[in-house]
Amino acid sequence: MHLTDRLEIMNVEKFSFKYRELDIKKESLIKLMGYSKESLPQMIDEEIDEVMEKGEEVCNIEGGYRITNNISWDKNNFNILLENVVLNIRRVIFQQIKKSDNVAIFVCTAGKGITDRSREFMKEGDLLKGYVYDLFGSIVVESAMDIIQDSLQKGMAILGLKISNRYSPGYCGWDVAEQRKLFSLLPEQFCGIELTDSCLMQPTKSVSGIIGIGENVKYNNYTCNICDSSNCLYKNLKYR
Amino acid sequence: MSDLLEKLMNCVELGKINKVSSFPPSLKGQDGADELCKMALEEGIKPQVILNEALIPGMSKIGEKFSQGRAFVPEMLISAKAMTAAMKHLKPFFTSGEIKRKGTFVIGTVFGDLHDIGKNIVAMTIEGSGWEVIDLGVDVKPEKFVETIEKYPDCVVGLSALLTTTMANMEVIVKEIKNKYPDKLILVGGAPLSQEFCNKIGASFYSPDPQGAVEFLKKVAA
Repeated sequence: MHLTDRLEIMNVEKFSFKYRELDIKKESLIKLMGYSKESLPQMIDEEIDEVMEKGEEVCNIEGGYRITNNISWDKNNFNILLENVVLNIRRVIFQQIKKSDNVAIFVCTAGKGITDRSREFMKEGDLLKGYVYDLFGSIVVESAMDIIQDSLQKGMAILGLKISNRYSPGYCGWDVAEQRKLFSLLPEQFCGIELTDSCLMQPTKSVSGIIGIGENVKYNNYTCNICDSSNCLYKNLKYR
Repeated sequence: MSDLLEKLMNCVELGKINKVSSFPPSLKGQDGADELCKMALEEGIKPQVILNEALIPGMSKIGEKFSQGRAFVPEMLISAKAMTAAMKHLKPFFTSGEIKRKGTFVIGTVFGDLHDIGKNIVAMTIEGSGWEVIDLGVDVKPEKFVETIEKYPDCVVGLSALLTTTMANMEVIVKEIKNKYPDKLILVGGAPLSQEFCNKIGASFYSPDPQGAVEFLKKVAA
C-alpha cells in the first residue's frame, strides 16, 4: 500500500495498491460463486487460477477517504448532516453510527481494466471467464477497502478512537441515489471515480460509503442480521 | 428417446463441450455436445428433434438445478457453452427454416444501467430453451426497444436492471412500449426488483431467476 496523497486541510488520505499487496485468497472467490473448496469443479478451479494470475495486469487499485467532524444528527428522519449535505442513511445505518464524532467518507476502485476484460470475454462468448473476472473485480475492491479501513482503524486507535463498520448506498435501505451527495463531499474525481447520471460508479468495480468514528462507536463482527436485503451477493458470505 | 439424443442431452446438462474438454471428469475422453450433435445429424435425426429432445431438455435440467440451488452460475455457463457447440451444427437449419424457434425474445439492460452479467445469463438460458434472442446490450433507451418491437412484432420483451436508481427507468420503458403495443408481454428482472414493483409499473411478469422466465415463456409458446 502506498499513501499517495495526504491533504491535511481536508483530512483526505489517498492510497494506491499493487494487486499482490492484497493477498487475495482464492477461497473468497470460490465462496462468492457458491461453492466450497471441496465441491468446486476442476474446470472452474482452473478458470479462477487463470484469472487471478492476471491480477497485476488488470488491476489499477486506488482508494481513500476524507474525514469530517462537521456533523449533526436528525434522529426523527434518520438523517445525518455532513457539513451542508443531508444524507438520509435510514434507520439501520443511523443506529450503527449515531454515536460518531467524526465520519470518514470513503471510495475505492479496482480500476477499469477488470470490467473491460470481463466484457471482452462476454462479448467473445466466453461467459464463464467474463463472469469470473466480474466476481474477481468485486473481491479485489472489497479486499483493498478492507486494508484502507484497517489503516483508518489503526490511525484512529492511536487517538483513542474507534471506528464502525463501513456502510454504502444501496445497502441497508440507503438509497443509491444518495451517492451523488456523498461524492459532493469528496474532491472531484477522487481516485478517478465518477458517477453516471443514474449514480452508477465508473469504474464499475468501485465502492463508496461512510464509516463512523468516535470514542463510543462500535465495530460489529456480524452485520448481515441488521440488513433486510434478501438478494445481496455478500449476504452472510464471511460466515459461510 | 434414442441413446444418442440422451447422451447429447446429458452433455448439455453436465457441460461436456467436446471430446477434448476435460469437464466433467466423469466424461473425460468421451464425445461431447459438439461431436454428438454432428453424429445425430449424420444418423438422420431431424434437427428439430435434436433441438427439442436433447438440447432444450439439457438446458432445462441445469436451469432447474440452478433454481433449486443445486448448481451455480458457472455450471450454467458451461452448459451454455456445450449447447452453443451443438447449436453451430444446427445453424444452417435455422437459416433454412427447417427448425422453428418458439418465438423471439428481445432483451436489454435499461438505460442508465451498465450491468450485463444477469442479463447475459437470462439471455443464454432463454436461448437454450428454444427462443431466438435479440440482445440489445446495456444502457438501452425506450426508443430502441420500440424500434426493435417494430421489427419483431410478435416478440416478448425482457428488461434488466441492477440498481434501485435504474429500475425506475423500467417504468418509463414499459410505458413507452405499452403506449404503442398495449398487449406486449414484458418480463422484468434484476436484484432490487420484486413482484410488487412489477405490478406497479405494469409489466407482465417478474422472476427472481432465469428458470422462472423460461417457465413463463413456455406457457406463452404453448
